Amino acid sequence: MDQQGQNGLLATYREGWRNRGVLGFVISTMLIAFYVVLYWEHKVEARFGVAPLTALSESIGLRNRWYLYGVLYSVAMVGGGIYYLRRHGNSRYNRVRITVNVAIQIALGFTLPFVMPLFGGQEVYFSYFWPLKYDYLYPQTLESLPLYFAVYTVIGSLLAAPVLALVYGKRWYCSWVCGCGGLANTFGDPWRHLTSKSDKSWRFEKVSIGIVFVLALATTALIVVDWKIGAQHPTLHRVVAGNDWRDWSLKSFYGFAVGAVLAGVVGTGLYPLFGPRVWCRNFCPMAAMLGLIQKLGRYRITVKPGMCISCGNCSTYCEMGIDVRSYAQNDESFTRASCVGCGMCAHMCPRGVLKLESTGRRSLAVVDS
Amino acid sequence: MRIVIIGNGVAGMEAAIAVREAEASWQITVISEESDHFFSRTALMWVCCGQMSHRDIEPFERDAYARFGFRRVRARAVGVDTRGHRVLLAGGLSPVPYDRLLIASGSAPRRGPWPGSDAHGVGHFVTMQDLSWYENEIHGGASRGGPPPRATAHLSATTADSPYQFREPGAELHGRVASKPAVIGGGLIGIEAAEVAVAAGLRPAFFIREEWFWPIALEPREAQWIGKRMGEHGVEVHLNHEVESLEVDPIGAVSAVKTNHGPYEADCVVIAIGVVPNTGWLANSDIERDERGGIVVDEALQTSAEDVLAAGDCASVRWFDGSRRPEQLWYTARDQGRIAGRGLLGNRSSYARGTWYNSAKLMDIEYTTAGLVNFDLERETNWFFEETGKVRSTTRVVSQDDRVVGFNMLGRRWDHTVLIKWIEERRSLSWVLPRLHQAAFDTELVPPLQAPGV
Repeated sequence: MDQQGQNGLLATYREGWRNRGVLGFVISTMLIAFYVVLYWEHKVEARFGVAPLTALSESIGLRNRWYLYGVLYSVAMVGGGIYYLRRHGNSRYNRVRITVNVAIQIALGFTLPFVMPLFGGQEVYFSYFWPLKYDYLYPQTLESLPLYFAVYTVIGSLLAAPVLALVYGKRWYCSWVCGCGGLANTFGDPWRHLTSKSDKSWRFEKVSIGIVFVLALATTALIVVDWKIGAQHPTLHRVVAGNDWRDWSLKSFYGFAVGAVLAGVVGTGLYPLFGPRVWCRNFCPMAAMLGLIQKLGRYRITVKPGMCISCGNCSTYCEMGIDVRSYAQNDESFTRASCVGCGMCAHMCPRGVLKLESTGRRSLAVVDS
Repeated sequence: MRIVIIGNGVAGMEAAIAVREAEASWQITVISEESDHFFSRTALMWVCCGQMSHRDIEPFERDAYARFGFRRVRARAVGVDTRGHRVLLAGGLSPVPYDRLLIASGSAPRRGPWPGSDAHGVGHFVTMQDLSWYENEIHGGASRGGPPPRATAHLSATTADSPYQFREPGAELHGRVASKPAVIGGGLIGIEAAEVAVAAGLRPAFFIREEWFWPIALEPREAQWIGKRMGEHGVEVHLNHEVESLEVDPIGAVSAVKTNHGPYEADCVVIAIGVVPNTGWLANSDIERDERGGIVVDEALQTSAEDVLAAGDCASVRWFDGSRRPEQLWYTARDQGRIAGRGLLGNRSSYARGTWYNSAKLMDIEYTTAGLVNFDLERETNWFFEETGKVRSTTRVVSQDDRVVGFNMLGRRWDHTVLIKWIEERRSLSWVLPRLHQAAFDTELVPPLQAPGV
């Protein structure tokens, strides 16, 4: 395992498709086109008279195009997981982490929601929480869910997720459970070195993820208000939720802009050009929330002093664009809000300088940033 | 105040930044022949493989010179006029005057002493230009990351004996990339050059003069263990092979390495027999150098000339054992650069070296060492354990008179600060072994070392 675990890693920059070559742009274009059709197939059908994904789904016996998407998503994660293990499988943390993440996607992100309706149950996702799965705290959604699941998702979103982030850092979710993170770390792994490490990209990230987070909080809050008093305030109801699902309202705008454009089209479509965590780093409200909590918690990257050789393997392979080297070469242990704890910096370090830790012991100074 | 720094490696840049942080208005000029940007030399092998790009191995963003207000001179220094306080440059460029000067010109590869060492297809793996040469030999050109900016900017102001000259690859003469590379010299640069070739799908021959690999750091059991791993990766290790000459074919390219055990075919040869202080350009300047070429400095890194300091690989400093020689390590260059920065500011402070430690990565095996491990001390005893199974590692604890004096660890990660503390506290082996796991620094989920007594 030790030696096989590095296959292809050393040649990362020698392959065009992984480095914004023509094939990289082609893959990106295809991904974007796929997501556009997936989300707005009714518009494609209205214009061209065909609904390609629905037709394909039905021809292979799947209920609708979302099941097809689930199948493709799972296949991409399994295939990408194998690729990942070939590249980084010589780290036990990586092996265990990616296996768990793929297993959760297959079990909770695909099989269970696929199987439950067959037995007359409701399609629910145990591995997604508010505010990523933003509608799971909308009162109308909660009312429609089975009681056990409504309790699960409220406790999961508002209590379990933050507490676990305090104890283990946001990685418990972003790198072990989340399907978006899972796709990024498997299917997206060939492009992980493309995430920008510039100061400019860091400044952009802080603003953009903050805006989406505030928008997510505001949308959820206003939908709760609307649910309470919307019947007496038709203008409020019109603006927040809309009278018809086709209306532009805050709710439909959030779904369109964040749920479809940023998470799908941009977030996944740009993997081959800007790295696999475009969504997680810049837009995901869950990552924003857990990141703020992470700064208050125990999780940190400990730097062994005096041993860093500034080689930059850590920064190069940081999918979140953190310039890990800038801390390591100054002997500063640190906690960054964006860090998803994938463990790659520690794994890549040729001098064993870095270590992810979430134990209570704080032997070395932690710098905030 | 005019500060001039020769060399933009880690020592030079640390000093420059230290000066800038204290003095916003001083004029700081950095002279570098090799490259526009400070880069991590230790990472050259990953650029050559394709694991990193040129941009990736630069610790700062490319606007660092502008941001810090450093003036860049991309030229070869050819001497220091210590009386006139000027640095002389090649290419007819006007000399650069200084009030205080830091020489941080680093190391140059040790040239091959054998006939044929200058043939096409023969090179080193130390400088940015060596990287370009080796990339051309093995891959036929730069990776998708592209070459560094202004790669050839120094060529208008250099000299023929410069270590930063480009070498023409033998591949160009043959019209193809290397298929049978050879590496001469059993040290760290040698194993890196071999790994580069392995990553390109080749089976390099690795010629080592000594009985085992890297004898200054490893003992035979450890070296054999590494040698086995090299073999598994596809490196053909030839121990006890003394090179006699490099054979050159009629078109001028290397064709074989001739050794005391006969000739071996090779179409690309990396000579990795160490580095020497890059101070040949000071031959006609009255700055004292020792017999190895290292610039003689005092505790504050002051040279024999007034207002001239030296730091990093080019300076002969006092070692932990009292001897004076260059210390060719990344972190010591960094520390010396910081001390030199204070010196440039006019605050004398001393460079003091504590207990020896270092680390490395040999193929996929990590190495940590601390204290005295290969000194053949009197009454020395070695506790050695080879771990097989899920984690493969070796652990060696060296003791003298029941006092632990050194650690040599392969395959696992260790916190050298803890190991050093134990050495300095003069702990016994029986005290250290049961506590060894306290120094473990393995990544999470790696099972701890299980060994008798540990």
